[in-house]
Amino acid sequence: MLSRRQFGGVIAGLPLSALVSPPPPWERAADAVRFGLETFSFHDLPPAGDPRLIPTIVKNMVEIGLGECEIMSGHVEPWASYTTGWWVQSRRAPGFQKVREQARHWRLTVPMDYYRAVRKQFDDAGLNIHLYNVNFNETFTDQERDRTFEAAVALGVTGFSSSTVLTEAKRLVPFVERHKMFVAMHNHNNLVDPDQFATPASFEKALAMSDYFKVTLDIGHFVAGNNDPVAFIKTHHDRIVNIHIRDRKRNNGPSRPFGRGDTPIKEVLRLIRDNHYPIRCYLEYEYGSFRFSVEEVKRCLEYCRQALA
Amino acid sequence: MSRVLPAGPGLALVALLALLPVVIGAQVVPGKPDAGGMPAPTVALERGRAVYVLNTCHFCHGVDLTKATMGAAVLLHSPLVGADENGNVIGAVVRAGIPNLQTSMPAYPDLTNQEVEELAAYIHYLRQLGRHKELMGASVAAGDAAAGRTYFAANCASCHAVTGNLKGLATNYDAATLRARVLGPPPPAASVDAGAIAAGRRQHLTLLEKYSDDDVNILVAYLQEATK
Repeated sequence: MLSRRQFGGVIAGLPLSALVSPPPPWERAADAVRFGLETFSFHDLPPAGDPRLIPTIVKNMVEIGLGECEIMSGHVEPWASYTTGWWVQSRRAPGFQKVREQARHWRLTVPMDYYRAVRKQFDDAGLNIHLYNVNFNETFTDQERDRTFEAAVALGVTGFSSSTVLTEAKRLVPFVERHKMFVAMHNHNNLVDPDQFATPASFEKALAMSDYFKVTLDIGHFVAGNNDPVAFIKTHHDRIVNIHIRDRKRNNGPSRPFGRGDTPIKEVLRLIRDNHYPIRCYLEYEYGSFRFSVEEVKRCLEYCRQALA
Repeated sequence: MSRVLPAGPGLALVALLALLPVVIGAQVVPGKPDAGGMPAPTVALERGRAVYVLNTCHFCHGVDLTKATMGAAVLLHSPLVGADENGNVIGAVVRAGIPNLQTSMPAYPDLTNQEVEELAAYIHYLRQLGRHKELMGASVAAGDAAAGRTYFAANCASCHAVTGNLKGLATNYDAATLRARVLGPPPPAASVDAGAIAAGRRQHLTLLEKYSDDDVNILVAYLQEATK
């Protein structure tokens, strides 16, 4: 057995690189903005509830070199997101009510250790789940809303990102105040339904309801709705938690590979970098491709890094 | 190994497509007829599949047209697709999108006419595969032969006659075999004109997309009665 002095001698003889492990790729000093991803980007995952699902997300993130994410509830819970009332049409599907009640029962009874176990898998790989993407809607009961906030705490996130509507935001006010946890509203491009988040005005209505309401600005959907993400970020940067980066065409146009739509990805990233806005920049790969998701997300990331080069 | 889609279509593309996770459900392998006896896909169909996948149609409609997430239509049973001829309906919907509804189907105004036609052809092809599978697996019920006579007169009599080229069918085949032959007719004799074969096949495939379970039952009942 080595004496303390002998041990010190051994340590002193090692090169510095042996003592200090290299930083993971997602802590690259070269990245002037903090990149991450929305786990929706992985289109080829095992189904919801499959025990291989979380390990696959973790493995994919490590392979891509992204250190944090916004995780979809459909990747945490054993249900696809739409079965919990995300889309209005899904609520009209035959058998929806039964499935919805099953999901509610699960949410109200699952031990919080379930969420901690999910978190641990990310922690063990040195990854961070920054946001929990739960699409709050009118099918939630108040008890279920409370329980979902508790789940977010167990999951170790800082807040929610949510594809929700203004009427649900009103219901959420007492919950965000009580749990002291923010909900960042995520937009689509529905310009007809005034309840939807799609325009600067719709965001501003929610931001006025509570300081705990923030924004997840999906710059691709914003552009598809013929809005200007650069102007919105300049005005509301202090309330924007993260952006979703995708490249859609204007006029309800489709998602395209980065650089081929109408979304000013470069301008947005440079705006965030140059102004040191603490806005996370999360990739959301959605367009069609014949490549596997990991390979395609790498391309999205490379496009964004080139935009900042 | 890279799984990048080559720029042009061809056998290399076809081989790569077999590896792809997003399209495995469609089981399209050019040169190899599927188990249902459907025609082998063509290179044009492969291009149609590329349009379908690269424009993310499969996200909402699924790789086999059976999925309907985010409020999408089930294309396998969509009357709009049933009414389409060479992309005239599908193209209009795809180019304009269905904007500002909860479904928010995007608009694809940039697609060329060829891309629309090949996309439509691929969707029809998937529908034919899907409907063939569904109808072959459907529960068989006794049909109304009189209704079958009316259906036959409206849809089949331009090429077939129960006392002519179909005579003896009921003598040679049982109901189950007749049903299979209605849904997937075998190639006609070599003496039949190639143009007539192609036209007949198109008509059969069009009908295959439109048959209801009952249509098949009444047609089989009529053929059993009238072709002895």
